Amino acid sequence: MSTQSVFSSSPRIAPPYSSSPIKITAAPPLLNSGSRSLSFPLRSTVPALSPDLKNTLDKVVTSQKVVLFMKGTKDFPQCGFSNTVVQILNSLNVPYETINILENEVLRQGLKEYSNWPTFPQLYIDGEFYGGCDITVEAYKSGELQELLERAMCP
Amino acid sequence: MGVTKEQVESTLKSKLNPSHLEIIDTSGGCGASFAIEIVSEQFEGKRLLERHRLVNAALEEEMKQIHALSIKKAVTPGQWKQQLESEKSTSAA
Repeated sequence: MSTQSVFSSSPRIAPPYSSSPIKITAAPPLLNSGSRSLSFPLRSTVPALSPDLKNTLDKVVTSQKVVLFMKGTKDFPQCGFSNTVVQILNSLNVPYETINILENEVLRQGLKEYSNWPTFPQLYIDGEFYGGCDITVEAYKSGELQELLERAMCP
Repeated sequence: MGVTKEQVESTLKSKLNPSHLEIIDTSGGCGASFAIEIVSEQFEGKRLLERHRLVNAALEEEMKQIHALSIKKAVTPGQWKQQLESEKSTSAA
């Protein structure tokens, strides 16, 4: 899975790109809920979770009470598991933000580390990782999720 | 590519010492998708998230080749017994 050496030995990549480390400045596009297009490089030579990305994610997961990192968008989920969580959140009638991890490989890999969770979707409630699809489904069935969300929505 | 049901089974058995374990290959044969039900004493006193983390950590190597792992049940032996009993009583009713 390592992409470490993909570019390092290539002499054809001309400056300025090869002379400075890749700087991820993704906070504004990630936080901008109007546009889902992110400006990370598709592949990176830095570790999956850089300090910059971690900072950005700290902000993203607290930007809304409920944040869902998923495959696709809430209007067009591209994976059955992501779709399941979208349907649950819709049925509970809570406002939530979704971020499409398919659009950005660096984000996708970084999030696995950030959440210490290997798969998507990943649901954050109140800035805290809540779980993946199975956990969300189980908590929904038991009523625990609704309770938690009601508490989270009351300031 | 992919891992076998047997691989997943033996890893979980050795790491989590389950008293009940059921693995269903939901990939249609390519070995990239599994659903599991697991009962282990190691889940005692742990929240669902922590239980799933234990399973994910146990399968860290396998996860690199698994696309989807659905943990249907991660319960303690006590909970498992209760669930079996309540299922029995509902089906009898």
